[in-house]
Formats: sequence, structure tokens, C-alpha cells
Amino acid sequence: MLPRDCSGRLVAELQGALDACAERQLQLEQSLRVCRRLLQAWEPTGTRASEPPPGPETNEEDPPPACTPSPQDLKELEFLTQALEKAVRVRRGITKAGETDKVPSPRSRSTVAPPGTIAFAPPQNPGRAGGRASDARPTKGPCQTTVPPKGHSERQLLSLGHKTRVGTGARAPRPGPGLRDQQMAPSAAPQAPKAFTLKEKGHLLRLPAAFRKVASQNASLWAQLSSMQTSDSTDATAAKTQFLQNMQTASGGSQPRLSAEEVEAETRRLWKACSLLRLRMREELSAAPTDWMQEYRCLLTLEGLQAMVGQCLHRLQELRAAVAEQPPRPCPVRRPPRASPSCGGGADPAWSPQLLVYSSTQELQTLAALRLRVAMLEQQIHLEKVLLEEEVGGLERRRTRR
Amino acid sequence: SLPSGPSPEIFRRAKFDRPEATPALWQLLFRVLAPLPLDNPLASLAPEVQARLVKSALRSQGYPRLALAQLPEDGSQGSRELLLALSWLLARGPVPEQMLAQTRVPLGDEMTVCQCEALASPGPPAPQVRAEDPVDVRYVQWLMGKLRFRWRQLVSSQQEQCTLLSKIHLYTSGCHGDQSLGHLSVAEAEMLRDPEGGQQVRGFWSGNPQNLDLAYLKGLHFSCTPGMGPRTFWKDLWLVCEQPGLLLGDWSLLSPLRALLRTLECENRRLEAVLTWRRTELVFWQWMDTVLDTCAPRAPAAASQGTFLPGIPEHRGGELELVAWELRALQEELQEAAECRRAAWEAKAGGCGRGPEWSAVRRASREAVEKELGALQRCWEQDRDPAQPHGPHRLVRREDGAAGDWDLRAAEVIRTLRSQEACLEAVLHQLQGQCRQGLARLAGALPGLIWIPPLGR
Repeated sequence: MLPRDCSGRLVAELQGALDACAERQLQLEQSLRVCRRLLQAWEPTGTRASEPPPGPETNEEDPPPACTPSPQDLKELEFLTQALEKAVRVRRGITKAGETDKVPSPRSRSTVAPPGTIAFAPPQNPGRAGGRASDARPTKGPCQTTVPPKGHSERQLLSLGHKTRVGTGARAPRPGPGLRDQQMAPSAAPQAPKAFTLKEKGHLLRLPAAFRKVASQNASLWAQLSSMQTSDSTDATAAKTQFLQNMQTASGGSQPRLSAEEVEAETRRLWKACSLLRLRMREELSAAPTDWMQEYRCLLTLEGLQAMVGQCLHRLQELRAAVAEQPPRPCPVRRPPRASPSCGGGADPAWSPQLLVYSSTQELQTLAALRLRVAMLEQQIHLEKVLLEEEVGGLERRRTRR
Repeated sequence: SLPSGPSPEIFRRAKFDRPEATPALWQLLFRVLAPLPLDNPLASLAPEVQARLVKSALRSQGYPRLALAQLPEDGSQGSRELLLALSWLLARGPVPEQMLAQTRVPLGDEMTVCQCEALASPGPPAPQVRAEDPVDVRYVQWLMGKLRFRWRQLVSSQQEQCTLLSKIHLYTSGCHGDQSLGHLSVAEAEMLRDPEGGQQVRGFWSGNPQNLDLAYLKGLHFSCTPGMGPRTFWKDLWLVCEQPGLLLGDWSLLSPLRALLRTLECENRRLEAVLTWRRTELVFWQWMDTVLDTCAPRAPAAASQGTFLPGIPEHRGGELELVAWELRALQEELQEAAECRRAAWEAKAGGCGRGPEWSAVRRASREAVEKELGALQRCWEQDRDPAQPHGPHRLVRREDGAAGDWDLRAAEVIRTLRSQEACLEAVLHQLQGQCRQGLARLAGALPGLIWIPPLGR
């Protein structure tokens, strides 16, 4: 059996580690789902075989138009219509001026839709074309207000293959994602745009102009922020330092006490020092000096390392004394992760992400695997430390108690 | 319309310690110190609890003024002190930028190289739990095995993710407007595939964006706020926290594409606001000096300091002991090795002579070693390794692997990670050895002790 004292903490830490792993796995799996779906055939919205949206009715098929809607259905339809009208209002409010409002007027003719889903009939199609399953994409009609096919070349275009697939000049009633024909002429009998894969046509995709504009503005603003950070006005910095000093004196002028974060940071630094020094020592001891000069260097290095360890121990004594002065208190709140990152967040000049360039799948995999390995090692080290602290400390306490 | 942040009036009132300014400032401090997503239950804590958390967070960061800890938590007074606390935080670090970075909408596929928020630091602050029943060591071993298994799962899922990601990047190369990027990210591709996306997509997208995961609508819950000028420097620090339901309800009618655009636009406004803040910052600090002046100078109350010192959690003290132990062990080893080498050296080269040539050589060697060791010391003294970049990076695939000045190359990062790996492995072996030694040393004192095998692979 484990000593009673240490088991609790060790188990808690292990369970914390397990939970973190599980959370990470969940995120990865979500991500994988999206990626897999992206690599499959992108079916145009009408024929997409996606999961049916949640709704009380599992039947996706249209009820035959001849069926008289029940009062229940009418009520639900009324509710739906109101919701749709609101959606249109919201959308109109957001849509840039000048975009054609393609909300189909025969919307109200869209007969009984499965409750819980919002399906629009395409403008020229009362009911649904070809008895296709109404796979309730919630915003078919108004979706055209967001990216109206005005024939602008900047819009999402599939310049090449699409025309041949869809047919001459035929507009898909539910335009496929990212594929917009140049002239979206209405058609009485819309033909289903064919599916395509990213592999075949990926390089022909285009991001919507609205998005590109906002994204580039975003990037340039972040760049401005970064450059402003690095060339911080000295006036402001001086004013800040002065203010901090004034606050210190105004609050009593005593020497600033060591905060919990600082102790933590120092402890981490000392750990790092310990491991770096140890590694260096190993290097020196394993190197075989070939001439006396190297031997001398080796000797000096070892003595230098010894001195540095002495300094570290001295610093540690100071820390210990500072900690001992202060009554220990349990940590009431989990510190937000950025409060004291081991990487030191304050001096980061680049706030927006820099690029990480890789050249092959292999490289990316190696990179990712190594990152996970480092994370795992750090976790193992932490657990080992916990084990040591608790067990050995506990045993020591028991021994000294005798 | 969405509620906006504290008006300039609040801050002017706070300067004169008016009580009506107090609750808003408590809330603002809470948002700054504990930024949480809106759907987190902690975001809707009672004001008293928020106030207590603010106090403890400030305490742990080393806030120098004792008056803060003495403030009542009901929000009835103390606005000037809260204002000072807020300025203290702003003076110490780039708070607005940090908050922006936290809520940034990641458009690309991102990977974090450093381990700031990695799994390595388990979340729950380990309580001083005295287990009622002794835990069976087999249960611990089972947990450890389970952990190993989960890591293996992670690794294989990650590898698959990399393959898929690489393909997506490859297939979409050449179609991004931004030349430096070249190809689409998963988020961008998904937006094209399904711009109007259904409910299922929306629920998915609000997940936590970390390291190769997607963050389509991460910033959804933060609204845009009016821009900043000298008179309204605070507005953009205020995050909407009061009516999350309303906010999300409004936006759920938008398609993901529209919502993303809106979020990005908001972010742009906030970025502009922070830039304006930085440009006119000096005015604020001059004003804060006047606020400090209006405070009555406090006599140092040395006697009462005992109650208000920042608490060092108990197990941190334990960690210090551990480092001490490690360092002492290291010192012993070094002492032994150095003395041994010194003796050998003296014996060999003792008669080498003290000529000027010899002493010049010695000096040169000494200087070289000092320089090397100095560099080594800087490695741990600097909190941040300049060679190790911080924060997430956007993954970009380029056949030639060409990278600009600011960009990272995968090959270099791999090298850095490998050396980190080596270092950590050494530390781990060391710790495992210490554990074994420690237990062996004490085993004699406590007969009948069962030795727990060390953690490891």
C-alpha cells in the first residue's frame, strides 16, 4: 500500500493528467471529422448526404403536395415563417447595400416542411425539385444575399469545370459551396451540380471577397500592433515605470514582497538551471580530452559549473527564507494559464501568429510527434516530482517523527 | 443593442473614490484577471465571489498596496483603490494586447511550439487531501497504464491529423488571395464548403481552439465595442458579460460565414481601439499620477502585514525542497569530479613552468570557459528563450520550404524540440534515480515498506 499521505495527491494529479489527455483527444477527433469531410466529395447542398438536422421528424422526404396540412402543421409553419422573416430582417441589416435580395417570394408557398428544420423552396420550385430530400439547409434562399452571384470575378468562382457540369447558363437553385457559375440565370428545372473533391478542384476555389477584405485588414492591424509593441514610445514606458514606483512608495515603501508567482518562476528557473548544468557536466565527463589544453578547459568548466551550482543553492536559500516568513495558504483559484507562462509572455513582440513553414507531410508529422513527446515528458517529470515530494517527504517526516 | 463598458464618468468618479463607481470596476478587474469564455459557469459568479477572486489574484501577483485586501467585497466603497489596481496591472504588462490575443479568431491551422498551456501542468490545484483509505498501489499502476494508453492514442490521432492537413494544404495550394499563405486552411476550406452550415456545424465550431484544432467562431461571444479616444480609454477593456444569452441568441440566426465576418470585423475594431490607446497612452498615465496624489499617504503598517501577505501554496514549498535536493546532489557529483580532475591535472602539468606563454594560454582558456558558462547561465535566467518562439503559429505548406525572416522553419523547430527532448529525458532519468535512491535510503528505517516502482515507460 502506498503511504496514506501521498496517495491522495498522486491520484489527483494522475486523474488530472488523464482528463487533460481525454480533452485533447476529443478536440483532435472533432478536427479529424472536419478534415475527413473536407477531403471527401463536396456535394452541392441539394444532394448532400450529411446527417439530418435534429428535429422531431425524422422523415426528410416531402409529404406529397396534395396532402392537406393539419392545423398543427399550419401552426408550425406560421412559427417557421416568422422565424424566417426575422432571419431575413437580420440578414438584410447585415448585408452590404446593393446586394440583390434574392429572397424568393414564393417562400410562403413552401408547403409543409418538417418541423424543426428551415427549408426554403428555390424560387422557381414550389415544392421541391425532383422529390429530392429536403435536407433542410437552413438558409437556402437568403444565402444568396450573402454572396450574391453578380458575376464579379472576385466572388467564389469555379471558372473552369463548373459550367460544363451544370449545363449552359443554368443556375443551381442551391448554389454549391464555393462554386458559383458566372451567370446564375434561373432555371425551371435545376440540374444538380455534380460533386467534386478537393483533390480535383481544390486549387480553383476562391474565398469570398468580403472575407478577404476583412481578413487582410485584420492581418495588417495585427502587424501594426506588433510593430508598435517593439517600438514602444519611451515616454509612455517611462511614465509607467514612474507610476509603479510611485505606487510602491505610496503603499508603504517596504521592500516588495515576493509574490507567489515570482517564487514559482524562480523555482522553475532553478529547475532549468539544474538540468542544464547536469547535462553540461555529463558532456564534459564523457568527452575524452585529446591534449592538455582540452583537459585544462574541461577542468575549468567543471569547476565553473560547481561554482554556479553553489550560486543556485545560495539563491535557493534566499527563496526559502522568504517563503518561510510568509504563512502558507492554499491556492484558492486556479491561475489563468497566461498568468505566468514558462515562456514569459510579456516580452512577446509578435501578437499575431507567425508562420511555421513545412515542406512535406513527413516533416509535419515529425514536428507534431516531437511536440507531443515533449509535452508527455514534461508531464511525466511533473508526476515524478509529485511522487518524490510526497513519498520521500512523507517518509522523511515519519522518520523524523520517531 | 449591446451593453457597453464603463463610461468615462465611472473613472472620473473613481478618482474621487465615489462609491457608485465601485461595482463596475470590480467587474472590470474580474474580466481582466480571469478572462473566461462566456459559456463558462464561472463568468456568472456572484459579485462578492468575483471580488474575492480579484483580491486573491492580485495578491498572488504581488500587488503592493494593502488597502485592496481590506476593501469590502459588497461593492460599497473603494473605487479609487480599484482604479489604482487596474492601472497597476496595465503598467506592468500589455494587458489589452494580451486580451486581444486570447480572443483572437484563428483563421489558419495553428500549432503551438512552446509548452505554455500544454498538458504538462495539470489543472486542479492539488488539495491537501488526506485519503481516508490507503490507496492500493495497483490502482495507481492501472492509472499510469491508462495514461500511457491515452498518450499513444493521441499520438496516432495526431499523425492522422497531420496527413489530412497536409493533403488539404496541398490540394488547395494556389488559391489563397494572400500570396504568403498560398493555400487554404481547414477553417477557410470549411467555410467554402459549407458557408451556410447547419446546426451541427455550429455546435462543433465553438470548441476550444488549440494546436491544430479549429476555432471557427471562437470570438463569437465578444462583441465589438466603440472605439477608444483619450476620453474613453477604457471602453475596449470591457467585455460583454452581462447578457450572454441575448448575445448568442442574436447570432445564432446568422450563418457561420456571416458570424465569422462579424467577429472579424469586431476584432478589427478592437485592434484599432488598442492602437489608439497606445498612441494616446501618455495622457492616461499623467492622469493616473493625479489620482495617486489624491490618495492620502499611508503610514507603513508593518505590524499588520502578517495577515495580507501573498500566500504561497504549500506544495510549492515542497517543490523548493526538491530542487534543493537535486542541486545538492549535483554539487556533490561536481565536487568529486572536479577535485579528481584537478588532482590529476596538477600531477601532470605541475611542472609545466610558469612562463608567460603558459599563463597567456591559461588566461585565454579561462576567458573562453567563462564566456560559455555565461551563455549557459543566461539560458535559465532569461524567462524566455529567444530562440524558442512563443505562442501559436500558422501552419503553411511550401514545397521549397522557403521562409521569411519572421517565419519559422519546421526543420529548425524539430532541432529545437529534439534537444529539448534530450534535456527532459535526462531530467526524468535523474528524478527516477533519485526516487529509487531515496526510497532505498529510507527503506532500512522503515521495515516492511513496500517499494513503489518508479513512474516511467
